[in-house]
Amino acid sequence: MSRREGSLEDPQADSSISPLPHLEAKIHQTHSLARLLTKYAEQLLQEYVQHQGDPFGLPGFSPPRLPVAGLSAPAPGHAGLPAAERLQLDAGALSALPPLLDVVRRHQAELNPRALRLLRRLEDAARQARALGAAVEAVLAALGAETRGPRPEPAVAAAAAATDAGVFPAKVLGLRVCGLYREWVSRTEGDLGQLVPGGPA
Amino acid sequence: MPAGRPGPAAQSARRPPPPLPLLLLCVLGAPRAGSGAHTAVISPQDPTLLIGSSLQATCSVHGDPPGTTAEGLYWTLNGRRLAPELSRVLNASTLALALANLNGSRQQSGDNLVCHARDGSILAGSCLYVGLPPEKPFNISCWSKNMKDLTCRWTPGAHGETFLHTNYSLKYKLRWYGQDNTCEEYHTVGPHSCHIPKDLALFTPYEIWVEATNRLGSARSDVLTLDILDVVTTDPPPDVHVSRVGGLEDQLSVRWVSPPALKDFLFQAKYQIRYRVEDSVDWKVVDDVSNQTSCRLAGLKPGTVYFVQVRCNPFGIYGSKKAGIWSEWSHPTAASTPRSERPGPGGGACEPRGGEPSSGPVRRELKQFLGWLKKHAYCSNLSFRLYDQWRAWMQKTHKTRNQDEGILPSGRRGTTRGKGSPAR
Repeated sequence: MSRREGSLEDPQADSSISPLPHLEAKIHQTHSLARLLTKYAEQLLQEYVQHQGDPFGLPGFSPPRLPVAGLSAPAPGHAGLPAAERLQLDAGALSALPPLLDVVRRHQAELNPRALRLLRRLEDAARQARALGAAVEAVLAALGAETRGPRPEPAVAAAAAATDAGVFPAKVLGLRVCGLYREWVSRTEGDLGQLVPGGPA
Repeated sequence: MPAGRPGPAAQSARRPPPPLPLLLLCVLGAPRAGSGAHTAVISPQDPTLLIGSSLQATCSVHGDPPGTTAEGLYWTLNGRRLAPELSRVLNASTLALALANLNGSRQQSGDNLVCHARDGSILAGSCLYVGLPPEKPFNISCWSKNMKDLTCRWTPGAHGETFLHTNYSLKYKLRWYGQDNTCEEYHTVGPHSCHIPKDLALFTPYEIWVEATNRLGSARSDVLTLDILDVVTTDPPPDVHVSRVGGLEDQLSVRWVSPPALKDFLFQAKYQIRYRVEDSVDWKVVDDVSNQTSCRLAGLKPGTVYFVQVRCNPFGIYGSKKAGIWSEWSHPTAASTPRSERPGPGGGACEPRGGEPSSGPVRRELKQFLGWLKKHAYCSNLSFRLYDQWRAWMQKTHKTRNQDEGILPSGRRGTTRGKGSPAR
């Protein structure tokens, strides 16, 4: 792997660690997984808005994009960060998403109990986010880059308050979480794509 | 503060949404400090209403800077802007809405009523649930597969259209004792069905009913009382074989096996056979093939492919006085009758094996056969093999005779030889 901006080669790193063919295969495989999940995330978002009713899904529908505690969208400067840091942020987001997706699934099970495909997609998304996050961390570990390590429990897991915030805000939250899931798997796909041999620099 | 007028059961039927995480405070309802953003609260939140009722709602704005007014605010319902005349400014910070004669909710997750700022941004939302309470489910029917389980289905009242998510729960209990049980495996044979897989008692009646519940109320079906043994069905008979009967051009022999799961109990089983010509959709049914596992179809068209199916009714299981429930039809089995230049009649019936004389034309044939037998056969034991040989001989003889006499050119239907009663 040539030395270039965003390369994972660190001059201070142990020179005996170098990308091996199996590592390239691993990166390629993880990139393929991210590409597949990007497609699934898009389908999840479309399925989700269908079941919430208009105006969800209408062009121009724009609820407030306020941050979800514990997870925000990729920052505008994300693409300019070193590769290791980008992948660390990807892994962090992917590990924060599953509990949020679980919350959305439980709420949709109450709101749309007959929407079996939506519920299944939400369940699959949580599982797939975990898998992709683990794969990204494995790539980071194999490259000798620091992984994020154990994350503090996200707010969603600890929160047990009977907040009667209402159905509409819950629908908006679900939209936000599904949107974040799509953004982060897409971002991960892009970041891994830069590491794939022959990928864009 | 004005509010909608929910139905009588709305308060009790309405279930609050599950607890949402604290993170949700960031989504809507909490202004960003110093941002100048406005937020609002809609009242009532998530009301449940009867179709045709009215709703009075308010959108109260609060935010930074102070003095924010309700001027310029507007409402949308399911993405469509509501006419201005439906709204009015109640006070400086509150916009009211009056909707009358509400239609049923467009989606089960609730109609989205949204309060917008002048620039179109969303300030607050509330979901309306407009529908009907459930009506009494009815027409419960149940069956047990091989006495091991029980499946029931029912019809929802009012054809199921309540515009609200309605939960159906099948309940059952032993009539004379025991507690209520709830079926857990739903939608097994359609949207309104449930399957109880185990732990069912025989020789004692069950009471079964369906409860329907939604945000506006609940309803309960009449109770169905049954004994498992009276509603038994079984698998279709396996190993159905259809074959020619020697050279007989108008007959096919059908054999099958008793369904193995109930084989030891099928003392009084009834079977039915149906058959059709390959390119027809009309089945002919042969009834009451009592307790036999073979049958001969007669009066068929020569040179024709037939599809045949068999089904079983486990009548009289363990002495039950009631007929059981017919199984599904077996997979179609096909066979063709031998070709003949002499076209035959189209009807047929099952002729029982074993030499029982049947009525009508077959009896006449048998009589002729017996006369022939006395003359030509050396053994006194009658057998269908000999009978078949005789019939083949008769057909050849008849064909030769008619050709000689020029009676039957090809394509013309001949006189019927009397092939038994038409299939029902």
